[in-house]
Amino acid sequence: MIDYFSIALTHGLILLALWRLMPRDELDVEGAPAEKASRPWLKDESGEEGSPDA
Amino acid sequence: MRDLVLLAFVAAVVAMGFRRPFFWVLLYIYVDIVTPQKIGFGIITSISLSLLCFVAAFAGYVLLDSKQGSRFTLRQGLIVALLGWCAITTFFLADFPVEAATKWDWVWKSLFFAAFLPLTLRTKLRLESAALVMVLAAGTIIISAGIKTVLSGGGYGVLTSLVDDNSGLYEGSTLSTVAIAMVPLTLWVAKHGSIFTERKLAMTFAVALVFASLLIPIGTQTRTGLICIAVLGVLVLRSVKYRFVYAGLAGLALLVAIPFLPASYTERMSTITEYQADESASTRVAVWRWTIDYVQANPLGGGFDAFLGNSFTYNTRQTVELGNTETVVYQEVTDEGRAYHSAYFEVLGEQGFPGFLIWLSLHGLGLWQMERIRRRYKDSKDTGEVRWRSLATALQQGHVVYLVGAVFVGVGYQPFMFMLLGLQIALYTLMKRDWQGTQVQPKPWLANQSPEGQPPEGQPPKGQPA
Repeated sequence: MIDYFSIALTHGLILLALWRLMPRDELDVEGAPAEKASRPWLKDESGEEGSPDA
Repeated sequence: MRDLVLLAFVAAVVAMGFRRPFFWVLLYIYVDIVTPQKIGFGIITSISLSLLCFVAAFAGYVLLDSKQGSRFTLRQGLIVALLGWCAITTFFLADFPVEAATKWDWVWKSLFFAAFLPLTLRTKLRLESAALVMVLAAGTIIISAGIKTVLSGGGYGVLTSLVDDNSGLYEGSTLSTVAIAMVPLTLWVAKHGSIFTERKLAMTFAVALVFASLLIPIGTQTRTGLICIAVLGVLVLRSVKYRFVYAGLAGLALLVAIPFLPASYTERMSTITEYQADESASTRVAVWRWTIDYVQANPLGGGFDAFLGNSFTYNTRQTVELGNTETVVYQEVTDEGRAYHSAYFEVLGEQGFPGFLIWLSLHGLGLWQMERIRRRYKDSKDTGEVRWRSLATALQQGHVVYLVGAVFVGVGYQPFMFMLLGLQIALYTLMKRDWQGTQVQPKPWLANQSPEGQPPEGQPPKGQPA
């Protein structure tokens, strides 16, 4: 039971992290426009008004 | 059920990797730390998951990923040199070729991946995501072990996390060392992460995870873990703003915690100073002496698991109660094939002086490089710079904790710690790139300093030495 809780929690978080990373172009190109917010389920998240990575 | 969940997770990451091949590198980090093929029961145990992910990570980078920003640095060169030297001692100099080859099977992966990882971490977001996955993957084992400690109290060699296994991170002393070494990185990811930006939630999770990490040395009842906590406590003093407040709070926390510690734990910890009566501690000292003699006779090392050839007799001192009197009894003990119980002696005995020197310089350079970043951004108020200084501090603190824990545990080639070195290398490379983008280093010995003009910001000229 404890093991299942631990696996579910961390694996869920890793998947969520990857899901949020997926649309962020700075992952592959340094200085690419950053996403305003990593909420890919929202339609208006095309990231046109991002600012370069600090 | 567990198999299905783990396989579904791996399949999901593989699928996402087709859009971002870098995810396969993160998948390998996860697989190497958690070893899902061990914690499953059915089909997953029969797949060479580690090898498949390794190939995917490597092929993904070589075939699909851009190489822009990838640099091969001096420390990666040192890792490759260590790997090459390990190959020589394994295949030409090994005292026990069969056992050496078995250990080589996982060590080469650990070293190769540590040299390869910084090539893939060519953007800051990648560096952050690798740190996050390392924390969450190790968290899988730590959270489970932490909760079990709270519920059962654990015990030396008794506490099992996800799987009853004594290898990799599932070994008690190794897990203790790694769990404590990871604490600063956990806090950094929560405080400065750009992936999980819900600060309060992230910090709550991080504090809970740090608490679980601190419980690991109690759960596994390893003395090394206690020493690691003490070292980390002192190191944090160096970077906190209000030192006296911190020291007072830490002391108070310790006082409050002591009554809650299991009796078996406090008993075992009290033996830290009674090493003469303790067979485990006495053997360590004897093995270390043996190693020093051995390496003088075999300066090139004896290959992996060379300790199998040792045999020595020593006395343990014990106080025995006979009626109302106490008598000191010396007992002669003969031991054979005792493990090194220290990364320093492990590397020295197995890789001889050449390997040991490479290993030491790899670690020494890492501490120095992190210090350089810390100093450079010491008084900076810029949020970006503060963020990277904090990461350098976290990686340096974790590294020192590991180096101290390594005195008592044979973790000379521990994959998790080599990944941490990979993060250090990547961070230093990224920082150097930033520094070169903002100022041109004077090179008076070159007649024509920049024949092709200034490189664009964030892009150093090709062939830049590391």
